[in-house]
Amino acid sequence: MHSNGHSAHEGQAALATAAAVQQNLQQRHEKSGNMFRLAVLFSAGLLVLGVIGFILRIADGVSDTAMWGYYAAAFAFVLSTAVAAPMVAIAPRIAKAHWRRPISRIAELFGIVGIFNLLLFIPLIWVLPPLDNGRRTLWFFDMVGEPVPNYSPHIWATLAILALAAVGVMLLWVSALPDFAALRDRTTGRKQKMYAWLARGWYGTTQQWHMQKHRLGILGAFYFMMFIFVHFLITVDFLMALVPGWIDALYPVTHAASALQAGAASVIIVMVILRQWGGYKEYIGLDQFWGLGKLLFALSLLWIWFWFSSFNIFWFGRKPNEISVLELFIKGPYLPLFYAVFVLSFAFPLFFMIWNPIRKSIWGPTVLAVGVLIGIFLDRIRMYVAGYSVADQSPLHAMDHVPVANKPDIADIFILFGAIGGSILIYLLASRLIPIVSIWEQKELLLYKLHKPFHRTHVRVMGKPD
Amino acid sequence: MMPKMQFKRSVIGLFQPGSEDTVADSMDALKAGGYTEHEYELLTGTPYPEGTFGEAEPKHSLFRYPLIGAACGFIIGLILTSGTQLAYPLITGGKPVLSIPPMAIIMYEGTMLGAILFTVLGIIIESRLPRLFMGAYDTRITEGWIGVTVTTTEDRIGKAEEILRKSGAREVKRGWEKS
Amino acid sequence: MQEHIDLDQKQVNETLLKDVVGTPRWWLPAVGFLGMVFLAGVGAFGYLLNKGVGVWGQNRPVFWAFDMTNFVFWIGISHAGIMISAILRLTQAEWRRPVTRAAEVLTVFSLTAALMAAPLTHTGRPWRSWLWIFPYDFERGVWPNVRSAFVWDPSAVMTYLTASTLFVIIALLPDLAVIRDRTTGMRQKIYGFLCLGWRGTPRQWKLQAVAGILLSALVLPVFVSVHSIVSWDFAVQIGVEGWHSTIFAPYFIIGAIHSGVSAVATVMVLMVWLFKWDKVLRPDHFDAIGRLLIIVATVWFFAFFLEWVFALYTLEKPELVLRELQVFKMPYMPLFLTFLVTAFFFPVPLWLFKNVRRSLFWMFVTTISVNIGMWLERFLIIVPGIIRRQPTEFNWGSYHPSIIEILILTATFAWVAMGMLVFAKVFPLVPLFDIKEGMVGRHVIKIGRKIVPASIRE
Repeated sequence: MHSNGHSAHEGQAALATAAAVQQNLQQRHEKSGNMFRLAVLFSAGLLVLGVIGFILRIADGVSDTAMWGYYAAAFAFVLSTAVAAPMVAIAPRIAKAHWRRPISRIAELFGIVGIFNLLLFIPLIWVLPPLDNGRRTLWFFDMVGEPVPNYSPHIWATLAILALAAVGVMLLWVSALPDFAALRDRTTGRKQKMYAWLARGWYGTTQQWHMQKHRLGILGAFYFMMFIFVHFLITVDFLMALVPGWIDALYPVTHAASALQAGAASVIIVMVILRQWGGYKEYIGLDQFWGLGKLLFALSLLWIWFWFSSFNIFWFGRKPNEISVLELFIKGPYLPLFYAVFVLSFAFPLFFMIWNPIRKSIWGPTVLAVGVLIGIFLDRIRMYVAGYSVADQSPLHAMDHVPVANKPDIADIFILFGAIGGSILIYLLASRLIPIVSIWEQKELLLYKLHKPFHRTHVRVMGKPD
Repeated sequence: MMPKMQFKRSVIGLFQPGSEDTVADSMDALKAGGYTEHEYELLTGTPYPEGTFGEAEPKHSLFRYPLIGAACGFIIGLILTSGTQLAYPLITGGKPVLSIPPMAIIMYEGTMLGAILFTVLGIIIESRLPRLFMGAYDTRITEGWIGVTVTTTEDRIGKAEEILRKSGAREVKRGWEKS
Repeated sequence: MQEHIDLDQKQVNETLLKDVVGTPRWWLPAVGFLGMVFLAGVGAFGYLLNKGVGVWGQNRPVFWAFDMTNFVFWIGISHAGIMISAILRLTQAEWRRPVTRAAEVLTVFSLTAALMAAPLTHTGRPWRSWLWIFPYDFERGVWPNVRSAFVWDPSAVMTYLTASTLFVIIALLPDLAVIRDRTTGMRQKIYGFLCLGWRGTPRQWKLQAVAGILLSALVLPVFVSVHSIVSWDFAVQIGVEGWHSTIFAPYFIIGAIHSGVSAVATVMVLMVWLFKWDKVLRPDHFDAIGRLLIIVATVWFFAFFLEWVFALYTLEKPELVLRELQVFKMPYMPLFLTFLVTAFFFPVPLWLFKNVRRSLFWMFVTTISVNIGMWLERFLIIVPGIIRRQPTEFNWGSYHPSIIEILILTATFAWVAMGMLVFAKVFPLVPLFDIKEGMVGRHVIKIGRKIVPASIRE
């Protein structure tokens, strides 16, 4: 906290001018090492495995939802990590927090994984049975006297995910416009043409800056709304409706909140890679890890609150249909997974982040972020595999029996690898096109952040523009 | 600090609002004059950023208090909830006698209450409050004037007064202090 | 965006302490009037104790009505203080400075109002209430039932009341020292005693700063638990349609924040109107709280939406009948419409306009409107839910509030208003040291011809 702490603002001395920042970040962007190529190859390999797994899976057909539980979990995992990550750029930008600047692009780049997420979603449309199997839906089957179309959930969820991906890409694009223009001005030949096209005639006029600021605000708010809406549709029509007796008004919010935690964790992982091996040490410092570490901490509190709010209602009420839902997701065959999730998503972030030495470090939040990612991975498996394994809809809206645990076969494992590998691959490729640290935001920071002497001490002065 | 209880003299030098640098110089002069950090103290009417006057950063161990309090509160909550249920094992609502979710709620409140009570206690203790002897003080401190007090033995007080006066204090006043 | 407060420390003292050291002319009549309203409520309460709950308008099966609504309403308002002061402290929002204490004090008084409003009478024999809360009766070995939500409730409310009171007192210490230095004689002695001999050393200031952060961090989880547990008074049981919903805890919390932050905005307007603190509470502060309210109200509306969607999603006949009763049947239809308009559709679109957010009058009107709506929200959750006829019901009554209940309701409002006024007379309602700290830490950054307000960050 004290301004004598040197690690809080690394890189101030070396990069005091806008020109230096510009040059430094552009050079870094143009460099790519062996490790990068290796990572691309590795993730491409994983993606190939995933495609093989998918082919094996599709060979069995789409009529049995239980077979597709792990596929749904893989989709939900990508939705909950990569697609949630842009919120890490959006929320602090709305709050005008300066610490976001070096990492906002890292977060926004995840928006492009939304396209991959959309691709992952397409098979699920076939897997989910039409509404005529008698299950409940958000689109209130038979409520208004006339039946709604049999494929309402499929149509609306697809449109929502499409919109989410589109907004994510647009957000990334608008945010990268000034950087595209800068790259256009420094490159030649075909590359210059491409950046010129991407920059859409950006010359940095006052009007353009003004418009960009407003568009970023609006697109950010819109992304958040779409994000919540997608989680709402997916959790209800693609999960909750499959489990008779499960009516949990809070679950969409729980799902979205844990996704935000995992999104923050994903950004932390990229941050630490860039800092340790990518040469961005001067930009990504303790402030950023501290800020996101606090977010992990706060969201772990939210996790326990939401989980307990749901659990307590079911546990206390003791309705048979609700007790069987607890049996399916918590007490029953998936209990070890639940314990792991409880520890990784809640207990570790809470109890370790209380300690100052861990909270104010690089490795503390990083290790916890890895834990959170494993936690969300296991949580999505716990929920989706269990949910998809419930086959029958009963007219009483209650489960007849709790199915046994569904273990993954080789195709499922390949699919899980493929989903992760594909997300990483598209992210890596996008980072070649777009600078992974936002150049213009970094330059703007120089205007508003000052270190100045204050009588006998030095203080950090932060400007808050309108 | 002092081996036996004895009365000490204290003196305060008052500096006008806005004279932060003069105050810092005056504290340097006191240090150079051989006064230890226990002997002189800075009084302000508002919190300044740490180190504004080149003063030493105050060390405190406030963060221990809530942890101890939380542990106490948790244990009391545990004993209260489990003990009362075991002592009067009446089954209600088909729930086990030792039902963890409701117990967790009350234990949680106990934990937080313990943590908060101990924190408040810790704040008062670590702020070195309550203070019975005000020593040399001036009501203008709370109007933006800055005070430097020196609390020391009878024989050293005269020199301190002189240093304060020389280094730019607008006014120097004496008071009593007990150690 | 923050306009700076342009005063020196002495002027801050004078402005903010003039009504503590002196007394404004309207003060005594106002407190006297509120005191009389309060006493009328106390009289009604005494009558209630004497005659029993038959003097209320309750009829089987409506055993909870006005009093429970008031209880939830005041607990909701009490969430304002901690929301404003803790969250804004933790996020280092500069605009919190003049607002924190008023919000915290509002918390304390509305919590006591909540305690007055209902839970005591609902225990049946209020004079024995404490026996139901604390473990008792070593003689016979009969102990309270921890599994009951009505034991969770007092444990949470009492923790919150203790915590928020201590929070106010700790942050009051430096300001008490300021009053000590401005008064003479007996009053000086009392304030000197209360401030524990505060002098303003760097150690004391540092502890004050750490205390603000640490207590905020500790009180926040308590604040979340309090209204969650109040919501579980309703939600855990399965007998009443519309209550058994998992979203209740977050829904109540965000509703509490909605009504509470609105109440703080109302209090801020009154602070300017009554105490003429327009130099400290700038239009910027109202702008900031207005923006916060837009976000809070939207999240609240989303929770409301989820609650409704999942009620309909059950497709259970009794649930659907209840919803129909809430929305389409008299007398609830006009109440429901009023609720929706006053809690959301009137204020939120208005807050989107900067001119509204910066206008005292409009902020006053909109925030009062929110609280009318939020009171109705609680009423519409409680009463239509239990008014439905159960399969084993033989008596089926309806509900109309009696004069006794109305008197007790008005008394709670009078109590909170009176409490705030008495507090403002004895202690500063705006934290002086927080304002002064903001003045020390303020800076401007000149970028070309633009002056950007800035502040020191530690």
